[in-house]
Amino acid sequence: MLMPRKVAHRKHHRGRMKGDTKGGSLITFGEFGIQALEPGWITARQIEAARIAMTRHVKRGGKVWINIFPDKPVTEKPAETRMGSGKGNPERWVAVVKPGRVMFELGGVTEQLAREAMERAIQKLPIKARFVTRAGVEAEV
Amino acid sequence: MPEVTLVAESGRPAGTSSSKRLRLEGRVPGVVYGHGIDPLPVSVDRKGLRAVLHTDAGQNALINLEVGGGTSHLTIVKELQRHPVRNDVVHVDFIVVSRDEVVTVDVPIMLIGEAKQVLANDGTVDQSMHSLTIHAKPGNIPNEIEIDVSELAIGDSVRVGDLKLPAGVTTDVDGEEPVVVAQVSAVAVEAEQLEELAEAIHEAEAAEATGEGEADAGEAPAAEASEEG
Repeated sequence: MLMPRKVAHRKHHRGRMKGDTKGGSLITFGEFGIQALEPGWITARQIEAARIAMTRHVKRGGKVWINIFPDKPVTEKPAETRMGSGKGNPERWVAVVKPGRVMFELGGVTEQLAREAMERAIQKLPIKARFVTRAGVEAEV
Repeated sequence: MPEVTLVAESGRPAGTSSSKRLRLEGRVPGVVYGHGIDPLPVSVDRKGLRAVLHTDAGQNALINLEVGGGTSHLTIVKELQRHPVRNDVVHVDFIVVSRDEVVTVDVPIMLIGEAKQVLANDGTVDQSMHSLTIHAKPGNIPNEIEIDVSELAIGDSVRVGDLKLPAGVTTDVDGEEPVVVAQVSAVAVEAEQLEELAEAIHEAEAAEATGEGEADAGEAPAAEASEEG
């Protein structure tokens, strides 16, 4: 699973996810993409599950790009622990995603196959997302 | 390259709120600059802009921009700012050009044909460059650069130096930069590894089953013997 090799600070603040994505809203590498429509935290496990769902469906051919990286540690306190005594332990890594962000890209396959594969990947994600194409983005005015 | 005409209104109020109001009225705020003129804030009709950008020339269409007051500028679209979710254009930059001066624009690269050899070998045609920055006079700007990939085989690549640019068109991009690469896909490699792993597990299970069978056969007489004893 994806996670940073080393970090400056082991525990982060939760932060807020106001507004739309500031960058990364265009398809850069492939022909098709999964675009977030809601803000949310995508865990490393969810990214891996979505990647596997896509690659299994594509079977042969095609190339997958993952444009998000889970660089934010999320802490949790152990079960049945009284409040206080400091912040909990880092349990998992998440990527912060805002609406408009193209999270995954796919190339080298037909649109039909890419759509099917990416619909499966979207099922693995905790937020609303949609299938987008490079041509579709450029066609809108 | 054919020219298209677009009517723009000048003297729009600047600022976020005014621009939002303009967008609600079906207009797109923009700016005209270049060729020594002062930057001029304008607004254009969204439908008109859509028509202009949907010609064969795409985003590089030569636009005869008629700004209010009878002034006309020969322009091309320098930049389109889009909303990250809705994808609609929220701002447009027009740059004034001259017919005799070379301009720098990005032209899309389109792949034509089907790389049958590559697909037959579970490979993928990876297009690593989707547009090329070129220098040309406004009249010589191609709509797109086509690359025929039907003869590609695994391991082949098309580089910038291999592209056949039309007359009067040059590029500064390094000729060794790859545009299209035919390669064995990582997905195919992963699928192959999974198959190998499944085979190995299957073999191991089969070996274990035969080993157990032999062991059972070996142990049974001993057990019988002990019982007899």
